[in-house]
Amino acid sequence: MTMVSMMPPQVRIRRQTASGRIALALFVLAVIGLAAMPWWAKTGTIRMVLELCCYVAVAQMWNMLAGYAGLVSVGQQAFMGASGYALFVLAQTFGVNPFLAVFLSLLVPLVLAVPCYLLLHRLDGPYFAIGTWVVAEVFRLVASNLPLVNAGAGMSLSVMKDYSAFQRNIAMSLFCALLVLVSIGGSYWFLRSRFGLALIAMRDNPVAAASQGVNVRRLRFMIYVAAAVGCGLVGAVYFMAQLRINPPSAFDPMWSNIAIFIVMVGGIASIEGVLIGTLIYFIADRWFGEYGASYFVVLGVMTVLVALYARTGIWGMIAARWDAPWFPIRRHLVLERDKP
Amino acid sequence: MSGAILSTHGLVARYGDFQALYGIDFHIDAGEAVALIGANGAGKSTFLRAVMGLLPVAPDMVRMGGQPVGGTPADRMVQKGVAIVPEGRRLFSGMSVQDNLRVAVDQADRLGRKGGWSLARLHQLFPILKEKARTPVQSLSGGQQQMVSIGRALLCQPRVLLCDEISLGLAPRVIREIYAALPEVRAQGTSVVLVEQDVGLAQSASDRLYCMLEGRVTLTGPSGSVTRDAIGQAYFGGSHAVA
Repeated sequence: MTMVSMMPPQVRIRRQTASGRIALALFVLAVIGLAAMPWWAKTGTIRMVLELCCYVAVAQMWNMLAGYAGLVSVGQQAFMGASGYALFVLAQTFGVNPFLAVFLSLLVPLVLAVPCYLLLHRLDGPYFAIGTWVVAEVFRLVASNLPLVNAGAGMSLSVMKDYSAFQRNIAMSLFCALLVLVSIGGSYWFLRSRFGLALIAMRDNPVAAASQGVNVRRLRFMIYVAAAVGCGLVGAVYFMAQLRINPPSAFDPMWSNIAIFIVMVGGIASIEGVLIGTLIYFIADRWFGEYGASYFVVLGVMTVLVALYARTGIWGMIAARWDAPWFPIRRHLVLERDKP
Repeated sequence: MSGAILSTHGLVARYGDFQALYGIDFHIDAGEAVALIGANGAGKSTFLRAVMGLLPVAPDMVRMGGQPVGGTPADRMVQKGVAIVPEGRRLFSGMSVQDNLRVAVDQADRLGRKGGWSLARLHQLFPILKEKARTPVQSLSGGQQQMVSIGRALLCQPRVLLCDEISLGLAPRVIREIYAALPEVRAQGTSVVLVEQDVGLAQSASDRLYCMLEGRVTLTGPSGSVTRDAIGQAYFGGSHAVA
């Protein structure tokens, strides 16, 4: 006679891989290396790395919006500019410590994102995209006419003269590390959380996800607000390093173009794709930037070709050949053998 | 009908200007299986979508335990105990079998849904899902995908399970395998609404049936006593009410 166990099988969930462990170790080293830049890099290098980190962060925010939440935005520069201006007003006009002001300025995109989303969420697909662009243009027009921010003339961050070059380098390096930690590390943590599985379900099929109990409306709202704050952090850090802000630069649609290029070419809905896409853009920008308009035409054509013939981007092609994710988010159910 | 776990009252649904349902009265009791039959375009799937909260309807048109729930968003309907096995399965294509199922487990936990369904229990019902746990759902056969879709809905711990054409495109042997699981589902006290084009299958798997034609109910009655002639007329035209 055999006894059938009524106990459920012993299982554990494995969520890390060898490639993931290596990538995680490299990521931690990279963050430490970024924070320690004043001791190994020149000011010019730090500024260049800061720009690279801004691209990574803004592209990852767009990736979360478009790749996971299905919200294709071409107006994230609205929150970059709003946060940048908030930093300048707080530090320059009200005398707040500029490094503290970077964090305080994030309240502005946080607060502005709520009514913007309430307005935009009624729009679908291309109408949503156009709506986000219109919002960014409205922000630009407001900034161009607002005496508090010196209207169209823009503002300078002369209070930064109070700090030595080394102190500014330390701040920029720490902000570089923070940008990467928040955008890449934060996204990875979010995607591995309970929200992450729901988010991936929503990406695959929003109707089916809602039918499984996923609150698609709330999740989209959360992603939109989080992306607005993330882009706000990029704007505050970027313009603090630039020491100058005006409406055309603060609300420059080129930021959205760059994010779209990076994510589409690197691989949408993957963190690895953002890193690959950013490196390609950064190198292309350094090598071919001098060709101006022709260079942008080439980037645009590349994006269209990838969208037509390789929708998963470069990372998608790599992942199809080798199952070695850098940031694994899948869960593997491992059945434990009964112990004698 | 007074003890109906789910009912609709003059349910009307539209796709823009097109009216798809014209005043559907329907009810299902606890543990009961009710089939909805009808030709393509009769409004069966639209009915399920309207009940599930995937189409806008007035609150009073759908009731659960007598409480108006019409137009409640789908995720809230899951919280109230309704789950759907959608037409075409609509699995999360980028995920493995177990991740598809874990979405439902996670959401049921989040929504506080308690019930008798667990991954282990589901693996007993459909053992293939345990074997294929790590397999991407896209590489499963149609029948296996349907099992994932049913399993995913069951893990929402539903009181009412809406099944939209679960036999569509499957081999007869696989259909028998899937339908063989329904008594186990009902044994849990779960009511089952079956949308089905195969009339014989629908009759054998249900206690009562509704036949729909062009957005209206043309025939209702106990599945065992409705004649094929009556169904034939209700399916293609005419009106028969069977007591």
